[in-house]
Amino acid sequence: MEEKTISAISTPMGVGGISVIRLSGKEAKNIASKVFTPLKNKDFNIEPRKMYLGDFKAKNFNEKCMMVWFKKPNSYTGEDVIEFQCHGGTVIANGILDALIDNGAVLAGPGEFTKRAFINGKLTLDEAEGVMDMINAESESEVRAGYNLLQGSLSKEINEIQNILTKMIAKIEVTLDYPENDYEEQTANETVEGINEIKTKLNNILKTASTGQIIKNGSKVLILGKPNVGKSSLLNAILNFERAIVTSIKGTTRDILEETYTFKGVKFILTDTAGLHEANDVVEKIGIEKAKQAINYADVILLVLDASEPLTKEDEQILSLVNNKNTIIVKNKTDLKNNVDLSKYNFKHIIEVSALNKNGIENLKQQIYDLVIDENIINSNLMITNMRHIEAIKKALKYADDCINGINLGITLDVVSIDLKNLWLALGEITGNNNNEEIIDEIFSGFCVGK
Amino acid sequence: MINENYDAVVIGSGHAGCEAALALARMGQKTLLLTLNLDSIAFLACNPSIGGTAKGHLVCEIDALGGEMGIIADKTTIQRRMLNGSKGPAVQSLRAQADKVMYHTEMKKVLENTKNLFVKQGEVKNIIVKNNKVCGVKTVQGDSFKAKAVVVCTGVYLKSDVIIGKVRQNSGPNGFAPANHLTASLKKLGLKIRRFKTGTPVRVHSDTINYSVLTEQCGEDNIQTFSFMTKTPPKNVIKCYLTYTNLKTHELILNNLDKAPMYNGEIKSEGPRYCPSIESKVVRFADKQQHQLFLEPEALSTKEVYVQGFSTSMPTYLQHQMVHSVLGLENAHIMRDAYAIEYDCIDSLELYPTLQYKKINGLYFAGQVNGTSGYEEAAAQGIIAGINAALFIQNKPPFVLKRDEAYIGVLIDDLTTKGTNEPYRMMTSRAEYRLQLRQDNADLRLTQKGYDIGLVSKERYKAYLNRVKQIEQLKNDLKTVVSPKKIEKMFNEKQETLPKVGITFKDVLKRSNIFVEDLVKYFPEFSKYKPNVLKQVEIDIKYEGYLTKQNIQIEQSKKQENTELSAQIDYSKIKGLRIEAQQKLNKIKPLTLGQASRISGVSPADIAVLTVYLKTLKNS
Repeated sequence: MEEKTISAISTPMGVGGISVIRLSGKEAKNIASKVFTPLKNKDFNIEPRKMYLGDFKAKNFNEKCMMVWFKKPNSYTGEDVIEFQCHGGTVIANGILDALIDNGAVLAGPGEFTKRAFINGKLTLDEAEGVMDMINAESESEVRAGYNLLQGSLSKEINEIQNILTKMIAKIEVTLDYPENDYEEQTANETVEGINEIKTKLNNILKTASTGQIIKNGSKVLILGKPNVGKSSLLNAILNFERAIVTSIKGTTRDILEETYTFKGVKFILTDTAGLHEANDVVEKIGIEKAKQAINYADVILLVLDASEPLTKEDEQILSLVNNKNTIIVKNKTDLKNNVDLSKYNFKHIIEVSALNKNGIENLKQQIYDLVIDENIINSNLMITNMRHIEAIKKALKYADDCINGINLGITLDVVSIDLKNLWLALGEITGNNNNEEIIDEIFSGFCVGK
Repeated sequence: MINENYDAVVIGSGHAGCEAALALARMGQKTLLLTLNLDSIAFLACNPSIGGTAKGHLVCEIDALGGEMGIIADKTTIQRRMLNGSKGPAVQSLRAQADKVMYHTEMKKVLENTKNLFVKQGEVKNIIVKNNKVCGVKTVQGDSFKAKAVVVCTGVYLKSDVIIGKVRQNSGPNGFAPANHLTASLKKLGLKIRRFKTGTPVRVHSDTINYSVLTEQCGEDNIQTFSFMTKTPPKNVIKCYLTYTNLKTHELILNNLDKAPMYNGEIKSEGPRYCPSIESKVVRFADKQQHQLFLEPEALSTKEVYVQGFSTSMPTYLQHQMVHSVLGLENAHIMRDAYAIEYDCIDSLELYPTLQYKKINGLYFAGQVNGTSGYEEAAAQGIIAGINAALFIQNKPPFVLKRDEAYIGVLIDDLTTKGTNEPYRMMTSRAEYRLQLRQDNADLRLTQKGYDIGLVSKERYKAYLNRVKQIEQLKNDLKTVVSPKKIEKMFNEKQETLPKVGITFKDVLKRSNIFVEDLVKYFPEFSKYKPNVLKQVEIDIKYEGYLTKQNIQIEQSKKQENTELSAQIDYSKIKGLRIEAQQKLNKIKPLTLGQASRISGVSPADIAVLTVYLKTLKNS
């Protein structure tokens, strides 16, 4: 390969303490020597993995910054890599990048450093995807899931299923080439049995996806309730800071508020809505419509009631909108009185809090967590968080059904094997085992410039 | 000393040589076919049969391209059956007992009557090469035949040894002379020479077989022929018989393994795993109480009967005891002993998919010399080598069939990409897109291609176009809507639920209990279509869903198949590839990413690395 030396700013754009500019390729050292002079090593006789302070000569300014050289192959990309650490701010970082490009480097595309690492055998496709998930992680659990992907735990499971499948296909093929040993019916029964086993395995993996998705995208928690029951106070109490304006005038909160907090390493997205009641006010009506929509998208609903008053018609209306599975009834204002009677409802999760005094808030957070997170899954090595993986498994399950349906319809196994192959290919999309170019593209396209 | 000029020389007149020579001559090249013995032309040295699982497909494809094997096989068939008849249409394979005497005579006749083709007895000693280009051949007698292309089809004759027990004789099959000189010339040209082994069973006298205790195997009528040109299907005029080995036979073998050349170290070369000797079967499948044996007449003009499944290289006295231990063969008179044969062959990884040797322009290899087994595999390579030799002479682009186009494509891709460490046999399971690669549609897949390169005759092309037209017409007719009343009787009889409104004939045919035969019976207007047209359309309709699924798989693989890999790439520089992959890729230098993905030792992870590498290359 006529490999160019590539460069990019690896730290996020914007103002920060320092910026890192990365340079990778055959000419990295040579290019660096043209623009950077180490203070104590003016003839650029540098050693790898040592930090050098020196002068960087950019076009319109000089900058005192740090430089380190990672010698091939002991670097992220497997090539010679030079990294500059300069003062933060876009002007300086851009100036340095410009100077490097003027001296022969080319601008790296998104994920190009990782692509090179991949070509040079520094990491596998799975690992590349794991790296990406870790970079984009917003919570500890997400980092853990990315790390497990990096460790190949999903690939291992999928490879095992593929191996079972390969054996099943081989058995069918044998009977085709040796017609004298034909056990079509027996083989058909065995195939159905085998596919059902595979389906169970895949469904088990898929089950981890809901937890996985929550870990990746965060769990959506919706706060519902008629006006003035203390929804905004509850939000503030959970977040532990003042976000929503709290007043005693009904309908203060007309926009939907969204805030995130983490609990036990999992990200939660908290949404407060307009007070939910039939309003004549057009603006407020829109807020209510939004809230009804939000119910459909929420993982957990906190239905807030004023404990000091008996249920009103409005409360009952709201209670009828939610189901008992993912709803927690939050009786607020328990510092006053408890006049709410829920005996005619069938809610499993009821909790008493005082948003004002921050009583019961930790308990509430734990309940929310327990509703969406299966600790067994979170502690196991295998959890899928990636949408691409989820889609592939769903596709595989569909092909598994196609196989079984075909056999039940009396289609001969030599033909049904087309579905078996599709099943195999769908699984290969997860591990990269079917060499699909689009998948490889997709994996790398998720990277940002500079990684 | 004779000194003559030809366009091409073909060495060897077995099944590969015949097809190669015919393809060259029919494509307009003045061709010399040199053979050790004119009496061995198209000799069925082992089984007196053509076709079988996956092999039947190859014969139909050879025929569709304008080859000869299918025509001669149909002409000399004395019994035929469709294997896998109860399975899907893709895996049904025609197998015919051929009259081995007639097969030889008929093929010889065709060769002798083909324009541009000169058949001559003679042994080649040297292949003449100048500047990495082939110039011709020199015979043992010192005669020179200049040529722009040479096709080597030496079968199992190179330095061959026939082995029976302790006796090893330097001989070709069936007592024909071996070719002892050419190997040295091939080595000089840089080819790696390997040694493979195969074998053949005993032939017994028909009158000494007790048929009364055996199971008859009759042929089938009303099944397709190999050739799309055969107008009258051959008749079943003989019967075959089925018998089995037994524990006594197995005991005889196991107690005398020290006398079996396969097991006492006498034979070290690789034999075919899929066509094993009886001693290999008994040892490998120790739990099996019996193995099938088929008794197949060799020709109408002889009483020799071939004992299929009883290939061995045991000493003759043991062969006698083994044969006599089998039901029905207690008093059988052995006319020809079974033997193993060892021979020199090359490594097919040294060939391009055109079957040209990578290092020398114009030098092609086809058939068993490439490490395959079987007449059909040989003929398939022969026709492709012949075509490419002709195109090479004509300065035209090469002809390579893809894996989704033909079993021939699968065969040659396997040979030149994966290579083989034992005699390679074609199998249904090797073809990943087999629902498309059926016997019945071989002409639809290949005849246009054969015509475009100038091999398919006008007569065949006309027949092909006519069939295409008929198929279209029938498909059109099937769009007609028929009222429930008109199909009521048929549906009741076939136990199908009658629809409430009219449906098209196509939908009628989609019912699982209704076939074209029923359609013709109830609606005689369809009887104007030939059975092979009706059958064709029926398969397309009944398997529509699966055909679509497979087409999607093919489309998805196309991207890789169409991604070319430059021969300049030094794979050892791509550190992300595992060492084994680097070495294999540098050795084989695949032409496409698809071919690379099939090299054994190149993993999907390696292909992913290559894919990203190619993209980076393109971007920089």
